Amino acid sequence: MFSIDNITNGNGWAMAAVGAVTVFLGLVVLTFVISQIHKILEFWENWAKTRNANQRRARKEDSQKNKGPAHQQLRLPTAAELCSIYRPLVEQLKEPFQLVQLYEKTKEMDLPHPHLSIKCLQEADVLVAQGDGTFIWDKQKAN
Amino acid sequence: MLDLFFQFLINTGYYLADYRHVIMIIVGCVFLYLGTAKKYEPLLLVPIGFGILVGNVPFFKGFGIGIYENNSVLHYLYFGVTTGVYPSIVFLGLGALTDFSSLLANPKLMLLGAAAQMGIYFTLLGALFFGFLPKEAASIAIIGGADGPTSIFLTAKLAPHLIGPIAIAAYSYMALIPVIQPPIMRLLTTRKERLIRMPPGRDVSKKELVIFPVAGVLLCCFLAPTALPLLGMLFLGNFLKECGVVNRLAGTAQSAIIDTATIFLGFTVGASTQADVFLTPKALGIFFLGAVAFSIATASGVIFGKIMNLFLKEKINPLLGAAGVSAVPGSAREVHMMGLKTDPTNFLLMHGMACNSSGVIGSAICAGILWSFFI
Repeated sequence: MFSIDNITNGNGWAMAAVGAVTVFLGLVVLTFVISQIHKILEFWENWAKTRNANQRRARKEDSQKNKGPAHQQLRLPTAAELCSIYRPLVEQLKEPFQLVQLYEKTKEMDLPHPHLSIKCLQEADVLVAQGDGTFIWDKQKAN
Repeated sequence: MLDLFFQFLINTGYYLADYRHVIMIIVGCVFLYLGTAKKYEPLLLVPIGFGILVGNVPFFKGFGIGIYENNSVLHYLYFGVTTGVYPSIVFLGLGALTDFSSLLANPKLMLLGAAAQMGIYFTLLGALFFGFLPKEAASIAIIGGADGPTSIFLTAKLAPHLIGPIAIAAYSYMALIPVIQPPIMRLLTTRKERLIRMPPGRDVSKKELVIFPVAGVLLCCFLAPTALPLLGMLFLGNFLKECGVVNRLAGTAQSAIIDTATIFLGFTVGASTQADVFLTPKALGIFFLGAVAFSIATASGVIFGKIMNLFLKEKINPLLGAAGVSAVPGSAREVHMMGLKTDPTNFLLMHGMACNSSGVIGSAICAGILWSFFI
């Protein structure tokens, strides 16, 4: 009744060997996987952080690039430059002239920032007020 | 009237009882004593012990009373055992109760859980040697996993006629861990080895805990699909606990569900130990082989711990190998106690729990593998 043959006949050696090796291998693989989970998560989080930072940087750069002219810092020509631009317009007007006339001329010529430019010329005393709402062009200052 | 009285007396349990019933009732009382007075695994031994008392009250066969009679209430309750439903439900609750963080913090301890499963395969050979049929031998061998529900599950599939003795043997040895394991641990380790301190584990993130059950179920069940009813439920329970969005379900799984299943499982397994089907030479053989399986499982875990120390820079305490059997948390507690006896400041409980939880996974895989050999 008690016999090694019983083991052989019941395929016991093979079952024990295959079973033991399989469970061991299975748990070794699981051990390896769970020992790597935190490393994978760390790698993933670092990658996600870097990606987010890059995206933020790219967004910032894009937004700066895409800013329209209205958002860009305004650069006006200097008074001397304005004089050279506005002189031909004034020459077309009969002195004294009203600022509205000058303004209309700038619109015709499609010059940028006419209000600011005219204000700048006033401050530079190139456009001199006559006290009755009219202005003259000071040629001396304009030179 | 006297005839009626005598006829009534003839039908009573007192008249029908023989010495086998008395033996089993004494066994039931011992279980109740161990469970209540000694507090050895009371959650298991109390329902089983009471089940043994109920199952061994003699009665007239054929009235639909006994657990083996069709249409009896006990038979319907026993259905959960014979189909493997109760073990699966217990595993769901077990998963919801288990904290795998200590295992994730120290993954190499899982190898001790794998090593402790060697007891199963040695016992398989032993049972075949003693003349058990291959399916019976596989069912007996799984006792070495020290996991009651797993033993019941596999036996229900392979050798249903042995559920009673195998379940009783498995649960008895689980309850007797404080008696069985310490001598083996002392015998196989030196004092110097028992003094080895385990470093505290690293902090485990919530994400790791959530990913683990998913990775676990995929890896283990692809390897042994027959372990799905056990491992699928174990990892489902653990996912419910860790994902944090279904706390109500996790709470129910770890309390009401596992408690209900444990009551019915224990009680019906106890009741299945009717003297006429339980007290057989085979049952004695099963008890003997169960003790061998449990001892070899403990020893192989400890020895493997010593072997690992030959290769590891940071040594592990080989006592932890004894916790590789899946008796949760009894064997981890025993390892901890043994460690404390040698050095009162050496705390091994958390590391023991890591080995324990890997033992649960390992023994369920073993059950799946053994079952698949006979499909």
